[in-house]
Amino acid sequence: MKPSLKYTLIALALALAIALPFGLEPRGYATRILCLVLLFAAMAQAWNIVGGLANQMSLGHAAFFGIGAYGSTILLVKYGISPWLGLLPGMAAGGVAAWLISLPTMRLRGHYFALATLAFGEVMRLVANTWGGLTGGPSGISVPFSKPGLAVFQFKEMRPYYFLMLAALLMVTAIFAGIRHSKLGYRLRAIRENPAAAEAIGVDTTRTKIIAAVISGALMAGLGTFYAQFQFFFDPDTVFSIPAISVRVAMIAIVGGVGTTIGPIVGALFLIPIEELANQTFSDQAAGLSQLVFGLLLIVVILAEPRGLLEIGRRLWRWRGRT
Amino acid sequence: MTALLQISNISKRFGGLQALNDVNVNIQRGEILGLIGPNGAGKTTLFSTLVGLLKPSTGSIKLEGREMAGMKPHRIAAAGMVKTFQNVALFLDSSVLDNVLTGGLLRHSVSEARALARHCLAQVGLSDIADKRAGDLSFPERARVEVARALCTEPRILLLDEAMAALNHAEMDEFLTLLRRLRDDGLTLVIVEHHMKAIMSICDRLLVLNFGRQIAIGTPAEIARDPAVIEAYLGRSAA
Amino acid sequence: MIGGVYAVISIGLTLVFGVMGIVNFAQAEFLMLGMFVAYYAWAWLGLDPLITAPLAFAVVFVFGMAVHHLMIRRVLKAPEVAQVFLTVGLLIVLENAALLMFGSGFKSVATSYQTSALHLGPLFISVPYLAAFLMSVACGAVLWLFLERSWFGRAMRATAQNPMAAKLMGIDSDRMHRIAFALGVGLTAFGGAVILPYLTVSPTVGDQFVVLMFTVVVLGGLGSVAGAVVGGLAVGIIQSISGLLFPIQMQNLVLFVVFIGVLAIRPEGLLGRAR
Repeated sequence: MKPSLKYTLIALALALAIALPFGLEPRGYATRILCLVLLFAAMAQAWNIVGGLANQMSLGHAAFFGIGAYGSTILLVKYGISPWLGLLPGMAAGGVAAWLISLPTMRLRGHYFALATLAFGEVMRLVANTWGGLTGGPSGISVPFSKPGLAVFQFKEMRPYYFLMLAALLMVTAIFAGIRHSKLGYRLRAIRENPAAAEAIGVDTTRTKIIAAVISGALMAGLGTFYAQFQFFFDPDTVFSIPAISVRVAMIAIVGGVGTTIGPIVGALFLIPIEELANQTFSDQAAGLSQLVFGLLLIVVILAEPRGLLEIGRRLWRWRGRT
Repeated sequence: MTALLQISNISKRFGGLQALNDVNVNIQRGEILGLIGPNGAGKTTLFSTLVGLLKPSTGSIKLEGREMAGMKPHRIAAAGMVKTFQNVALFLDSSVLDNVLTGGLLRHSVSEARALARHCLAQVGLSDIADKRAGDLSFPERARVEVARALCTEPRILLLDEAMAALNHAEMDEFLTLLRRLRDDGLTLVIVEHHMKAIMSICDRLLVLNFGRQIAIGTPAEIARDPAVIEAYLGRSAA
Repeated sequence: MIGGVYAVISIGLTLVFGVMGIVNFAQAEFLMLGMFVAYYAWAWLGLDPLITAPLAFAVVFVFGMAVHHLMIRRVLKAPEVAQVFLTVGLLIVLENAALLMFGSGFKSVATSYQTSALHLGPLFISVPYLAAFLMSVACGAVLWLFLERSWFGRAMRATAQNPMAAKLMGIDSDRMHRIAFALGVGLTAFGGAVILPYLTVSPTVGDQFVVLMFTVVVLGGLGSVAGAVVGGLAVGIIQSISGLLFPIQMQNLVLFVVFIGVLAIRPEGLLGRAR
């Protein structure tokens, strides 16, 4: 695709994204869905750094997400610290957690790595559930209501959230694209394609992977804070959830086109509205039905194209790009 | 003058297999050393040990006086010792330029590395395919890209593992000219090759391995006459 | 002693990996299924779970055959991403289907010996635990006999060690895989039934055991049945010790640290083969 065409399209998309909420109900359902689309696209983009650039399939990213969500919220509830400030320690904690989990999993590939990260996310969930004194345990934790405003990161309407989520998405995407074209990006690609050769020409594979993981974890944690301020209430089973967070962000990135910059955005635009539709149709029937449908969808998709969700992503991508 | 690379008592054991057994050689600056021996003699193992992909069971490897044994490959590469892979280990989904560029990132920024990469590609005569996908190249082309990539790390000593394997006569002559030019520019080379004529014509010395042991070292002329070498290649009856 | 039970539960996981090379992330859900089968056998028929454990095995075994035939075998050659996602999807489906069918409440059985304990010298041994352990040992013995002596068992081991050679000798690897998978999930279900007397069952009970099962298997070596036994015992011991030293919040963390530690230091585990 010619660069000038690409930039024009991006500018158009951006303009559309900015104008869109004004055409919709400010508190409306549609805007709310879009907020989720943006948030999950950002999360998938953060995952994409590890899952796409470094080619390590993490199924435990919910760990960082939950750490960020709980981090800022606990600071808010216990010490009255503004979520904007609470964002920072949360991100730091997410980064440290990513560093800690990277060290032992450095040499693992494929199934083993997925297993380790899955276990990590699960353990975080269990810890949050049992450490009631800190986290409120299974009953969850609430963001206390204050007068809405930017300073306290709370709003009555959806529209301000929309713009904040959009800003977050743009930032994470910018970081992703920046990495991709930087030294880090080249090194990650080398590691992905041939780790031995990469080492032989001077790439410090361990350090490179850790850096990617830390960035990804920190960003994910930051997005957890956004989520907390958006939803006002959450519990360990929600933010540390394997299917609802860990698997979902991986799936979004993979279906959209893992390793590409636009992939997570496309994936989110595609998957989140479908899921919400399913939720709406089924939620009044019983708890767990929408999740069931999600799981079935996952299975069906894989059985239909076992050679890869990537193939579907690629086909979708070609259809959308048409270049 | 101290040797550039001092290999002392290097041995490597894999479980029950002694892949390398007490290899000793001092490689001088600006030398072209040929490493020869029958298949399975341990040549690639020696290279892998020198650059850190394998840890030696015993022995020391001193590059410009600094001990390299046991260091991780990327540190050894940073110190200036780099090897190419026998089976060619390019990043197949990336462009040729990106492949070579990655080598340059060791000491340069992305833009500097890109310029350096173009220079290295020109040195091996592959400037015109810079934007092709590495996976789409023919084997000889890939081998040359691999050399370019190694050059881009600006090594002091380059270990070439059968880099000429798939070249025809004309290409080989060009390659040998390139090697001579690199040596004249200050690079030290250790090459593994099976083309006897090429080895004999370009190498200052030859080191012969057989079953992991060093059986001879000397000038090509000396080696050609060495009975132990002849026996190794042709069997006992020919000695 | 708990270790013995853990071993039975986890053997299935290691068996599947050993024979087929894929990690079944949904394994814990089959545990849950086994527990439910045993529960309903108790609720409707009044049968003690220890008696119905083989029934749980059988039911889940058949179910496992179907799952393998419909889903698992299709992704054997697919990239790992697909395999992982498939079993994770299975996990989600099973857990939520159970949620829909059985409701989210916790249920437990009441047996005559539930609260009784044997007095052996200075030790109090709770009867349900002991029963579970004995059943596990029995199950383990039967399994051992099967793997060592029967044709099927040996064929499965052959397929695990050298698929190509096994095929050349006329062993239908697809059938072996199906049996191995069904056996694997069936065993876990058996384990579930056996521990029902002292645990409560709910659709989410699998979650508690996920980390545990994987720790056992990794510790003992993915693919090694004997390893699962060793791993089970080891984990049982670790849990008991950590129960004495740490508050309950930390116990899972301890387990996880062990899990990660093993993966980092020796991914093949104590007895396993590297894959």
